[in-house]
Amino acid sequence: MSASTSTSGVDVVVIGAGNAGLTAAVRLAQSGAATLLLEQHNIPGGCATSFRRGRFEFEVALHQLSGLGTENHPFQIRQLLGELGVLDRLEFVYEPDLYRVTIADLVDVTLPADRTGVVGVLAALHPAESRAVERFLDLVHDVFEEWIAFTYLGGSQLGPDEAKKKYPLFTHYALRTLREVLDELFVSQTLKTVLAAYWDYLGQTPANLAFVDYAVVFEVYLEYKPAHIKGGSQAMSNALLDQFQRLGGEVRFSCGAGAILTEDGHVKAVRTVGGDTISCRAVVSNVSTPVTYGRLLDTGTPAAVAQDLASRPIGVSGCMVYLGLDATPHELGMTTSTSFSFAGFDHDLLGPRRDEIGDPRAIAVTCYSLADPSFSPPGTTHLVIMDLQYSEPWTRLSPSEYLDVKFAYGNKLIDFAERTFPGLRDTIAEADVATPITVMRYLRHPGGAIYGFDQTPSDSALLRSGGVVVPGLYLAGAWTGTGGFQPTLTAGAAAADAVLAAIGRNHLSPPGAPR
Amino acid sequence: MSERTAYDAIDRYTSIAASIAGAQPSEACELRASEPATVIERLHPHRLTLEVTEVISETPTTTTLRMASTGPDLPPFLAGQYVNLFVELDGTRTSRPYAISSAPAERDHYDLTVREVTRGFVSPHLVRRVRRGDRFHSTGPMGEFFRNPLFHGDRLMFLAGGSGVAPARSMIRDITARGGTSRLHLVYGSRDRSDIIFREELDELARAHDTIEIAHVISEPDPGWDGRTGFITGDLIAELAGPHLHRTTYYLCGPPAMYDFCLDALQRLDIARRRVRYEANGPPAEPGRLRGWPGQLDPATTVVVNVDGRGKFEAACGEPLLNSLERAGYQLEAGCRSGHCSLCRVKILSGAVVSGPEARIRRSDEWTGHTHACTAFPVSDVEVQL
Repeated sequence: MSASTSTSGVDVVVIGAGNAGLTAAVRLAQSGAATLLLEQHNIPGGCATSFRRGRFEFEVALHQLSGLGTENHPFQIRQLLGELGVLDRLEFVYEPDLYRVTIADLVDVTLPADRTGVVGVLAALHPAESRAVERFLDLVHDVFEEWIAFTYLGGSQLGPDEAKKKYPLFTHYALRTLREVLDELFVSQTLKTVLAAYWDYLGQTPANLAFVDYAVVFEVYLEYKPAHIKGGSQAMSNALLDQFQRLGGEVRFSCGAGAILTEDGHVKAVRTVGGDTISCRAVVSNVSTPVTYGRLLDTGTPAAVAQDLASRPIGVSGCMVYLGLDATPHELGMTTSTSFSFAGFDHDLLGPRRDEIGDPRAIAVTCYSLADPSFSPPGTTHLVIMDLQYSEPWTRLSPSEYLDVKFAYGNKLIDFAERTFPGLRDTIAEADVATPITVMRYLRHPGGAIYGFDQTPSDSALLRSGGVVVPGLYLAGAWTGTGGFQPTLTAGAAAADAVLAAIGRNHLSPPGAPR
Repeated sequence: MSERTAYDAIDRYTSIAASIAGAQPSEACELRASEPATVIERLHPHRLTLEVTEVISETPTTTTLRMASTGPDLPPFLAGQYVNLFVELDGTRTSRPYAISSAPAERDHYDLTVREVTRGFVSPHLVRRVRRGDRFHSTGPMGEFFRNPLFHGDRLMFLAGGSGVAPARSMIRDITARGGTSRLHLVYGSRDRSDIIFREELDELARAHDTIEIAHVISEPDPGWDGRTGFITGDLIAELAGPHLHRTTYYLCGPPAMYDFCLDALQRLDIARRRVRYEANGPPAEPGRLRGWPGQLDPATTVVVNVDGRGKFEAACGEPLLNSLERAGYQLEAGCRSGHCSLCRVKILSGAVVSGPEARIRRSDEWTGHTHACTAFPVSDVEVQL
């Protein structure tokens, strides 16, 4: 495939080589669509990437891959990667546990990644409420199943009365908050705290989180096990890009999109930042929704989109400390790949704030070398501390304050992690900090948002159509649905399917046709 | 009223949908859409335009170019970081990274201190021919060679050779400006007295601040030199660090030979690897001695580099791919030119390259045949994709 800059026309331009852009590009190329992938950075992946420090390679964003499933018990992502032709080029390792939760010296509980195990651990902790634990897990499971049937198996086409009868738990609980459900089932604050820990992966505390969103995440991890990719998320991004190129797709790195051009309301071309114009029949934008419409689309944000955006606050970003440590996970006291540490019991007091950076209150610690010792050199550990942060307090800093505040906050995160893992700091061999500004720098997302818009009940996919507003323009990524790897990987493939359905597989450029 | 659907069966759906429909569009979202561009332009601009406002002759072979912003303040940086400066010489567009020698607090200009490298391509031009008013483009500040507050501690020793003192000057001025508890001991090796860069300024800072100490070491002293002579040895490091030997963080910056010598000395002193910080300084000088280099292959041997259908050219296999690509007129991103930053990441479609040990290539990049062009030597004909 030629990498020349003379390309003048393709079937589809995909803007952004993040998770969704990559799966969209591969799917399109597989179907014979002449596809050009533009990426402003010099490497594919978006968040799904890594960077080197000294002897270490630091994973940027993937904490626990959900939805993969095992060979014998496969799920969505395994199927998708198989369809895209990259599954056999990737190696996975599984975490035996969901996570460990610690609150100072008061709580230290590890939940295994299987239902019986969870019931066993929590029943031992609070025998009086073991029935409630089972009811919670049943509810998570049932709401998940009913949600699948409602969303993907035609349930949403039923009339309201029939839907209510057929999906009683889903219709009752889906848009209630996680907090309401926990309060309904449990007396023990410890049980609520331990079972709600995954809110950290959704960016909203239990009082602001739709139960259906939490149930989906919890059930997928519990039933299909959390996984890691050997070589990190970059390995998946590289495999997808490699596959795209093998299929004849063309990619341009260090080449951002400057504008999406329309004619008579239909997408007709993309102009690069460098000034090349590539005509196309459709665009898949893996760029954030506000930037796609507000900065790229030549006609500006359509009224229908502006109306939708009016009730969707820009979501949370994060502060990450990436560490390479001169000690084994065992020496550091790491017993699980994933730990959450909280400053208190009530998660709703621990969420990120828009008014101040504050002190760490809730962190996720991911230890990559435990399940996969090859992730870092022998005798060492790679570990990431993640803390949710909104960008506002960071963008308010003056440039002369920024670097000091960044490292000072990184130091606080290490101190906070040391409450669970004492001695961490003394073993640091390499360390770096990322802030919402860093995320903004590499992803160009407003707010440095990592999961798109705030994922409150009002942001639920149940309430946001995500349909095509500008003919020929398809958006895919964290901003068009739930954030995270599983949703964005699947969103890209779905966008490609929608493009193919619209332009018709029989109307693609014949191979070798002049463009 | 529209017909009720299955969605209306979901508790709270109707009320949430009504509040979404009733929300008033505002300009806030449009403003947030332009936020990445404005915020990042302030903190991490892709390119800087710099104008030379002063050319300061430091020594017979070293010049400091004071580079001022042509626009707003320059972006903040960490003492020890560099910018990659773009130049066009004899029709070749290339670049070289230079540590910023001025203090982070001074953001209306960066000082770049350049020493002329014998038979160098870019440095003679910068040292001798640049004039006030000349303009350059550069990257923003980058690099991992800085005092990392997360783990470097407060006891610092900087082992510098030649123009390797440039980042040390920035660190010293940062420490004295902040007035904190960090202490830095500069051990600075020069060939002779006339080679010492920033001598008066640094000695003055050391006199005025008890957190800064400086030891000059001269390898070819004139009869009038009454200071330390020879090289920066393990004995000297141990003597100067005293009881803090194993609680100090060591920074190394200087010519390649000094790295070999000092790294060996620090290892013999049983200094933990994590306490020794250094940054590779350009591609390996002697590619023929790299591990993996084909036994009898003369680095002067010519190979053909094919740029994925765009053209081909001949290059010596002892020249880094990035340099020969630039000479052949190809433009690609570059930053450190030492194998670290990965901005010049390219894919080798066929043929073989040998990379230096300083090349920090991601594991999965190795699986897909990617390399960093700045430290990759083509030891056969190669096909490369930019």
